[in-house]
Amino acid sequence: MVRRAAGLQSGLFCLLVMGIGSVARADGPVVDKVYDPYVQPLEREIELRGIVQNDSNATRDEIQLYQLGVGRSWSDKWWTEAYFIGKQVGDGGFALQAFELEAKWQMTEQGEYWADWGLLFELERERQVDIFELSTRLLVVKEWGRWVTTANVGVNYEWGDDIVKEWKTSLAVQGRYRLSRAIEPALELYVGQNHAGIGPVLTGEFRPGIGKKLNWEFGVIIGVDGNSPDQTWRGLIEYEF
Amino acid sequence: MAALYRSGSLLLLVLSLTALPAAAAKPEFKIEIRNHLFEPSELVVPANTKIKLIVYNRDSTAEEFESYELNREKVVMGNRKAVIFIGPLKPGTYPFFGEFHPNTAQGIIIAE
Repeated sequence: MVRRAAGLQSGLFCLLVMGIGSVARADGPVVDKVYDPYVQPLEREIELRGIVQNDSNATRDEIQLYQLGVGRSWSDKWWTEAYFIGKQVGDGGFALQAFELEAKWQMTEQGEYWADWGLLFELERERQVDIFELSTRLLVVKEWGRWVTTANVGVNYEWGDDIVKEWKTSLAVQGRYRLSRAIEPALELYVGQNHAGIGPVLTGEFRPGIGKKLNWEFGVIIGVDGNSPDQTWRGLIEYEF
Repeated sequence: MAALYRSGSLLLLVLSLTALPAAAAKPEFKIEIRNHLFEPSELVVPANTKIKLIVYNRDSTAEEFESYELNREKVVMGNRKAVIFIGPLKPGTYPFFGEFHPNTAQGIIIAE
């Protein structure tokens, strides 16, 4: 029974990655960070992440998006973070585009089950137009020895006076090799409307002091079809204290 | 819409399966944190078996059990306990330490 249950979960994980990936198509920027489901009590964080999109199609070229976030945990299950989101297109000026609130729920203890599970909730409000977006992402992590696979499966809903109401889905998958604390190579896959891409990412962690961590991520996602941007560079730096 | 329905159904299936019993009873081990030291500081556990480690923090301040080798980090609040699931581990030694008192709170897990 136990083996059967584990087998069911194993099969389901593959189904999530392959099945939803084949149908997921969302619009807007798809490349983001891949979330794990873990929450630690007493954790506070300042985060800066950004993407730079390049493409031979001028309408998708030279787009930069940055997020500045401040977050904290409330228990060993719940984490919240608030973001300011800014955007720059081409030589146009940088402008604050949106605000976002995020809540993460760690559903299972790390290592207790065949995989680790969590949920992420996000509410985004555009600043200059009447557009809201509510997102829910299922966060799944599976360890395979020194390899760690993380999948985020999202369902989003957009509404407001300045947008046609719309449901969207998204998928992000990261395969990461735990080489060392300082540097871990990874491969990431993103699928959404007008974007299907895959590419290498490096992640790592430094300890500037007791109880403090500096996490970084940097990589490039290459579009795999004509609808996707040629390259999306992404970077992230998090200071935990 | 069909894609959305399909995604939603899968999500519900995932959430329901989360409640399934995923493993048989795991061997339990206990460690205490006292005066910013792990007691015992050396723990022998069976290799190739998932274990349940219960960490009791007898100090009034929080400590973080951390190990890159075990791929685990867990904050244990003062005068509280935390449960950490580890493994299955290959035979070998796996160091861990207390993130908030790394100079004193150190230990090792030996899988054999």
